[in-house]
Amino acid sequence: METVRQARRLAAVDHRAAALGLQPGQKLTDARARVPGLIVAPAEPEADAAALEALVDWCVRYSPAVAADPPDGLFLDVTGVAHLWGGEADLMADLRARLFANGLPFRLALADTPGAAWALARHGRDGTIAPPGEQAALLAPLPPAALRLEPEATAQIERLGLSRLGQLLDIPRAPLGRRFGARTLMRLDQALGRAPEALRFRRPPTPWMARLAFFEPVSAPEDMARVTQDVVAELCRRLEAGGRGARRFALAFHRVDGRALPLEAGLSLAGRDAARIARLFQPRLETVDPGFGVEAITLCAYEVEAVQALQTRIEAGETPAAEDGLTPLVDRLVNRLGADRVWRAAPMESHIPEKAVARIAAIGARTTAAPWDSRTPRPVRLFRRPEPLEGVYALLPDDPPRRFRWRGRVHDVRRAEGPERIGEDWWLRDIEDVSPVRVRDYYRVEDQDGARFWLFRAGLYADAGAPPQWWMHGVFG
Amino acid sequence: MAQGPAPRIADLAARIARIEGGARPDAGVIPLGVPAIDACLPGGSLGGRGLPLGRWHEVAADGMETELSAAPALFAGLAASPLARRGEAVWVFRRDDLWAPGLAGLGFPAARLVQVWARDEAEVLGVMEDALATPGVSVVFGEAGTIDLTAGRRLQLACERRGSTGFVLDRRPFGGEAKRLGPGTAAATRWRVASAPSAPPAEGVGLGAPRLAVTLERCRGGRPGAWILEAACVYGGGPGFYREASDDTHPLRLVAPLGDRQLATAGRRAA
Repeated sequence: METVRQARRLAAVDHRAAALGLQPGQKLTDARARVPGLIVAPAEPEADAAALEALVDWCVRYSPAVAADPPDGLFLDVTGVAHLWGGEADLMADLRARLFANGLPFRLALADTPGAAWALARHGRDGTIAPPGEQAALLAPLPPAALRLEPEATAQIERLGLSRLGQLLDIPRAPLGRRFGARTLMRLDQALGRAPEALRFRRPPTPWMARLAFFEPVSAPEDMARVTQDVVAELCRRLEAGGRGARRFALAFHRVDGRALPLEAGLSLAGRDAARIARLFQPRLETVDPGFGVEAITLCAYEVEAVQALQTRIEAGETPAAEDGLTPLVDRLVNRLGADRVWRAAPMESHIPEKAVARIAAIGARTTAAPWDSRTPRPVRLFRRPEPLEGVYALLPDDPPRRFRWRGRVHDVRRAEGPERIGEDWWLRDIEDVSPVRVRDYYRVEDQDGARFWLFRAGLYADAGAPPQWWMHGVFG
Repeated sequence: MAQGPAPRIADLAARIARIEGGARPDAGVIPLGVPAIDACLPGGSLGGRGLPLGRWHEVAADGMETELSAAPALFAGLAASPLARRGEAVWVFRRDDLWAPGLAGLGFPAARLVQVWARDEAEVLGVMEDALATPGVSVVFGEAGTIDLTAGRRLQLACERRGSTGFVLDRRPFGGEAKRLGPGTAAATRWRVASAPSAPPAEGVGLGAPRLAVTLERCRGGRPGAWILEAACVYGGGPGFYREASDDTHPLRLVAPLGDRQLATAGRRAA
């Protein structure tokens, strides 16, 4: 039940309600009048979307290319994967059995184009498999609603007495387009494969996929580790045969209860070393809850690129190249901590201190910027946000402070050096937004204990209303 | 490696020493370039005295520096930059305020340093162990708190696997109380570093070269001591700055030994 324009209407009905003559879109009062004992529940579009998303995840067990078709459908691109099940009919039978076991109502169809499959699944016979190139004949008896048009457009077609797609197909294109609009033509062409249709696949499709199904569901940790190794070895063998390596691997455990648990691992350089990749998954296998058991496991490789064959054995006694040892280390760390926690600092050509350092990937990234000038004193520690100084006492407005308080401690300045004026990058801003408040005068000061700080005064003594503010930005040590 | 039987004899001697006393094979040393300090440090199997490689070293600080750890970072960066130039370097921290331009100013190859931002102390130690055991990594810095004996021994085992050297900066980046631990440590050396007032520069304006008050509190196979050092060549200062950076340039210079006799004797007894 949903509320549309102040009227409560039925959003969806189950089999038995449909048998009693109820249909979606009916007003709730009408439905109550027909079926007094009707049980209604509020519609939950978000929960439906989440359930569809889960189903899309689950369907990855059949093909890596799955596209959700909200609110209640999904497309499965089975090009090139049907043979894994022994043909399209067997694949559909397997899918049917599993969906049925999960108690989901469903309708299936398989055709050359997404449009035709959609039409056949919703308006044709359940389980239709259209032979290649022959969907026109199968589509002809379907109603115009099978074209995925707006309800208004469908209603207009039906009002003109065209109750079957076959009649539409018989009309010459030019008058058809004039009468019903380009969208109708496009949908027809898409259904017949005359126009391309882009599906938004949940994951980019990849031909690099390996799959292992088990006769008995596995759940023991050591079994999970072993099947992970097996599926990785399987895919890596194929990658090696193709002279390829991949940088991202997505592993999915398909549980008996229909949920798919994903795990991802990334490499900083494309690789296909099965032992290494399996080891990246290893520490996180224990986070996977096998439930009542895992019945299939799939592994997809993304960002596949050509990799020349590497000599895997290093002659004994020879020290390995630095990249050889560092790359697996960085991969382990990135997969354990996250990609944003492992980096190399690269120079950026900016004089604003916060922007002088870019964090680049630890392996493989290159930078062309000029290196930092090591002759200007820069602190070893730089605070991400400058911290305000209190009780700043300077002899003259333009002088460095003689005394300041920071983090609850008073520092007497013995020596100071500066200022080094660092302006804002005004060329990146609107001209109205540029203001002297953002000009910084940096001073290097040393306190009574010898601690050396990098502090700055933001703004100039031009505006009496807004006195400059002092900030601590870094510590030299 | 030299040709002839000398390496094999050294290898045999190391193995005998290991069997006899549980001592570890000596992987060489890296001198600090200050003769007074190097004299206090243990000697390497290939001659010379300095910070032993294939071990880990602890650098602590007091007061404000326990939170900031700027002077320890300066000291560790200066001491280890020849090492960092030989291989890969990894720096693990909990607070991401390490600034590469500052390290570059010390002559440290900052652009080649891999920085790892860990979530907690256990993760810092885990990443350090992993990095120390990786071939090609010559030096690993970690900003952990005070390390207990067990964690220290684990670090030591990781150091021994590839002969890489660790530096643990004793830092509590978010404040808080120090952990109370027993007196034992698995570190090869334990330093306490603070900044010291600099001398006025020759021109009379501005700051002089940074100075550090360095205390060697504990040293296996060596003697403790305390000194004031000056990092003469950092930030483009000093006459040696334009020299080609190589393994044998040492930016630290002795200003004065510290007469902290009491601390020195106490440390010797503990060592």
